[in-house]
Amino acid sequence: MFPERPARNWPLIIATAGFLAAMTWWSANGIGFSLIELLCNITGGGRLISESWPPDFSFLPRLADPFLETLNIAVIGTVIGGILSVPVAVLAARNLTLGRVVWFTDRNFMNVLRTLPDLFWAMLFATAVGFGPVAGALALSVFTIAVISKLWSESLESIDMGLPEAVRAVGGTWLQMLRFGAVPQAMQTYVSYALYAFELNVRASMVLGLVGAGGIGMILETQRANFEYERVALIVLVVLVAVLIIEEISEAIRSRLA
Amino acid sequence: MSERRLRGQQRIGGATWATFIIAALFVWSMWAIGFSPERLGKLPAQMVEVLGFFWPADMAYGWDKVLPAIAESIQIAWIGTIIGAIFSLPLALLGARTLFPKFARVVKLISATTRAFPEILLAIYFVPIVGLGAFAGALAIGISSIGMLTKLGSEVVDSIDFGPVEAVEAAGGSRILALRYAVLPQVLPEIIAHWLFRFELNIRASAVLGVVGAGGVGGVLLNTLRYRHFDKAAAVLVLTILIVLAIDMVSGEIRRRIIRG
Repeated sequence: MFPERPARNWPLIIATAGFLAAMTWWSANGIGFSLIELLCNITGGGRLISESWPPDFSFLPRLADPFLETLNIAVIGTVIGGILSVPVAVLAARNLTLGRVVWFTDRNFMNVLRTLPDLFWAMLFATAVGFGPVAGALALSVFTIAVISKLWSESLESIDMGLPEAVRAVGGTWLQMLRFGAVPQAMQTYVSYALYAFELNVRASMVLGLVGAGGIGMILETQRANFEYERVALIVLVVLVAVLIIEEISEAIRSRLA
Repeated sequence: MSERRLRGQQRIGGATWATFIIAALFVWSMWAIGFSPERLGKLPAQMVEVLGFFWPADMAYGWDKVLPAIAESIQIAWIGTIIGAIFSLPLALLGARTLFPKFARVVKLISATTRAFPEILLAIYFVPIVGLGAFAGALAIGISSIGMLTKLGSEVVDSIDFGPVEAVEAAGGSRILALRYAVLPQVLPEIIAHWLFRFELNIRASAVLGVVGAGGVGGVLLNTLRYRHFDKAAAVLVLTILIVLAIDMVSGEIRRRIIRG
């Protein structure tokens, strides 16, 4: 009367469970995970919070300049990265690229860019061009290329190829095909990915200062080193509010675009 | 027809304005942080010079010091992902607007707040609590994973087919039974794919935590660069790129298979 229950692939289930257990055991041992330690030190957490409260609001005026610098870094990173990610994404899209070799090279370039986190780029650029916001802006530019080009090349691959082929058929060049046939179809997704990258960049720019790449994170680092936890709490609060506001704005714009 | 043309013109106007505003913001930002055109012009030469320092990479240092640090980053990411997965699953179910309209708001607020914290700020707070090291990093990664996975999970649950849920309840099953037999089977493949994707992101996040003393490969990179041991820094970069690429490829392949079913 009932349909038969699908058979289970027991070897696969056992192998997966074994792998998960082994991985978890190896990791928990490696990092010294212990609930007992966590519970014993929870009082330390309470002390930390009581030291952080109330946040030192008299420190707020001194945050204004670094805060603006942080936003400047995020804007520059998003604009430079956003522009450079266009060719990277186009050449990584299988249906638009200029031959297999270009596609393969660009795709791997993109994947390598994606492996390194934002703060690694910040450390590298701080070494190359010196400490300060310029290093941060360059780091976020590279990070933005990695974010946008991967996502956007996937949307470019899913466009309707009728229009680009029509442009080619009437004698359009490759660039004209992109300009009039391909890119307009994926313009909205580009804008929404650029906004998403901007959100990530604002969040990242807040902490770039920890490695000397400018912005509000530099103040955070000095205050933390001096155990001024009321000030650290204020900075964290400012970062939190800023990130939430930017997210709201960007989500509102994105939902209007869709 | 004229109305349509008008609307078309308005939209072009909006895009032009947006471009203009973005350009103005960009120029102001460049000026504010002192990023002059001359500096931009000198950049390529500078980059080439610095790249030269990185060659050749000190691979002996890589095997001895960098590999264990990368292993620690992977361990942090793994435990963080497990913490995130365990706590986010019930939260994702509670946060689904279609199943539990009353709880959804509270859950959404919790997940939005935890997501807004960059992991590294959480780590700054966990380091004094549990001490320097990887454990603090895993907790930080875990907390921020809960936020993101809850949000993504709720969206998956909201998009399910409600037929099976109604069928279970019509046959006299409780809410819990409906979750077990109607909701979970539908959402688990996608949710597991999100866990794997989050693990890929967590490896990158855990790699930087060393900057604040929370374990992993970030601290090694920071120290090698600080003391100008560029050949050692090169070993860190090469090994990180290769290992993260390999993990991305494996995890991406598993994700594709799970989604395809």
